[in-house]
Amino acid sequence: MKYEPVVISGMGVISATGGDLAESLSSLEKGQRNFLPKATLFPTSLDFPVFQASSLPDRYHLEGRRSISLALCAVDEALAEAGLANGLDGARVGVCLGTTVSSQLNDQKFYFTLRQEGAAPLEPVDRYVKMELSSYIKEKIGARGPALTVVNACSSGSDALGVALSWLRHGVCDIVVAGGADELSHIPLCGFVSLGIVSPSPCAPFDKNRKGLNLGEGAGVLVLESQSSAKKRGAPSRLRLLGYGSCADAYHLTAPRPDGAGLITAIHRAMMEAGISPEQIGFINAHGTATPDNDKVEGKVFQQLFGEKILTHSTKGYTGHTLGAAGGIEAVFAAAFLREGWMPGSAGFETYDEEVGLAPVGRKTVSDATHALSTSLAFGGNNAALIMGIE
Amino acid sequence: MFINGMGIVFAGGSGIEKFEGALAGPWVAPNSHNEAGLPSYQADLAGAGRQDLLKKIRRADKMSKMAVVAAADAAEDAGLENLAAHRVGVILSTAHGPHVTTFKFLDGIYDYGEEEVSPITFSNSVHNSTCSYIAQTMDIQGPTLTVTQFFHSFYNALSLASLWLADDRVDYALVGGVEQYGDVLSWIVDQKLTTAKDGMIKPFNLTPTPQVPGEGAAFFLVSKTAMGKAYCQVDDIFLGWDADRAIKADIRVIDSDGMAPDESAYLACGSSGVPMAAYSPLFGSMMSGSAFNMAAAALTLKHQRVYPNPVADNPHNLPLLPKDFGVDINRMSCLRFDCRGEAMGAHLSRA
Repeated sequence: MKYEPVVISGMGVISATGGDLAESLSSLEKGQRNFLPKATLFPTSLDFPVFQASSLPDRYHLEGRRSISLALCAVDEALAEAGLANGLDGARVGVCLGTTVSSQLNDQKFYFTLRQEGAAPLEPVDRYVKMELSSYIKEKIGARGPALTVVNACSSGSDALGVALSWLRHGVCDIVVAGGADELSHIPLCGFVSLGIVSPSPCAPFDKNRKGLNLGEGAGVLVLESQSSAKKRGAPSRLRLLGYGSCADAYHLTAPRPDGAGLITAIHRAMMEAGISPEQIGFINAHGTATPDNDKVEGKVFQQLFGEKILTHSTKGYTGHTLGAAGGIEAVFAAAFLREGWMPGSAGFETYDEEVGLAPVGRKTVSDATHALSTSLAFGGNNAALIMGIE
Repeated sequence: MFINGMGIVFAGGSGIEKFEGALAGPWVAPNSHNEAGLPSYQADLAGAGRQDLLKKIRRADKMSKMAVVAAADAAEDAGLENLAAHRVGVILSTAHGPHVTTFKFLDGIYDYGEEEVSPITFSNSVHNSTCSYIAQTMDIQGPTLTVTQFFHSFYNALSLASLWLADDRVDYALVGGVEQYGDVLSWIVDQKLTTAKDGMIKPFNLTPTPQVPGEGAAFFLVSKTAMGKAYCQVDDIFLGWDADRAIKADIRVIDSDGMAPDESAYLACGSSGVPMAAYSPLFGSMMSGSAFNMAAAALTLKHQRVYPNPVADNPHNLPLLPKDFGVDINRMSCLRFDCRGEAMGAHLSRA
């Protein structure tokens, strides 16, 4: 099926790498890893490195809704680049964002008070109800199209971009603000530590001695629109979102399928939609969490589909694993690397792992790639793949 | 897009026959009251079939178990076997997700400390764990997606299913809504909304509608073309109230159930004169209740049988669906307003 191309007309990002795209690219170019030895956003005895978005401007602060603060920051940047900072000019704009933490009613103070005393102040509940991620952003920017929050664990951000692609292709709206946002939260930190997959040192994606992931936070947002909409608005962009694929493993709640069959199907689908063949993929921004299982499966699949020479990196060595935001942040990075003509070294990698079967780029690498693949593998076994291109 | 199969788990049991029986029968009082005396409609999985599937996912929470049973029933109802051999996707909608499991995980932090929490409870507290169980038990190797948007969660999922089919991303989609009852949520809604202390949701009171928390799962097997025993066609899924279009419906099913403090937006539906039905008194108040009301509409179209309003208190003199509604039923409109007064819904027609 032939669809009108979807243009990336604006991008916004915030993470431990920086408060906007320019600052993030500068950090990535220098190989700067802004991790903290332990979380400072909440009290905890868990001594594991984390990547906090310390440059979130105060003006975005929303009590108890940090994920939305992060999203708003990235949305503003993306809308500004798209030329929509002063209003949406009557366009039908949809909002589709992925998250994990902000979709849960998990305010510990509220719950523990209720548990102990049988009643608790309801402000956290009001915040949860009134600030549902996508609906809140939709209202905040004055959008009149659909709003939907994707809660597909760690592939949420990529899947939200896939939903946006479908909306645009079928004329559900003219423009979509899409991506992902997630805050660093005590609850997933406890959960991931209980699963034994958090590294006590800065993470090392694809390294033989990797010990697991570090948690991070942030938001990555793209303004997507049909080519005709961008042309009509006089908002030309060379970047395109060309394809999306998604497939379940049907295997395990937390572990990826060892043969990577679901990931392979997702990548094939994304390439089919993009109308490209494997040799046209210039580089891969891998999910690359640095857990033993994830990196092994991704390495095998990339080697099988693209050969061991494919330029691969993971940006999680700079951002940590930002869960529902990861797909959005990494789509922004992959698109930006296409535009900039370089990609950063994959932080933390030192030793080749035969079980992974490929070595990520070790330092800043110049590239004339025209197409990039970004992958996301989620708890629950969903795999998502996005293909970005530049003209 | 056609609805070819349905699976339902609700307080009245599991399966389409049970649901149809409830639609045809009189209103039934809530089957549970908590320690505070608050009523609720809770699903009883012990009486459900599918014990083979439930055994496979014995570590899963009730939300996942209800959804797995409903999804498997929907596929079987459509006659679709060996799902691994087909291109099937799953889209699950839920307003609150696995909140009961989330609170259980918080109990772990409180009781045992942050280093001693249960990894199994954590894994099950992730929103898409339910989709994962569906994919695992039914061997579905297509795309799986979990979405939320409170009141419009289900219709958004349904809309996305139609796009997946149009995109040729899948040949079949299992799309559904699921909510689990929990005492914490029951306490919250009792504080924020008006609880029906007598257990009776009066869906046409509207200002406000008294609520009774419900739980359950409703799944639909949809595809581009009609299979052998299709229930109905989904003509379109709409966002925004379109009175001109809606007036063409023979019956309008509204999702009023007291989950918003003021549901007076539904009063506008009455002016068109289209007979109105609401079935929330049978399964309880839940933001994904749209899926259950749509199932009732699909059964109405397929069987050309009118299911009377289970509770017909009508203080606003709305045009309620009469028991002796005699005309052919060709087109139905299903509708949910959110707390901002924005509508989303679906138009259905005979297959």
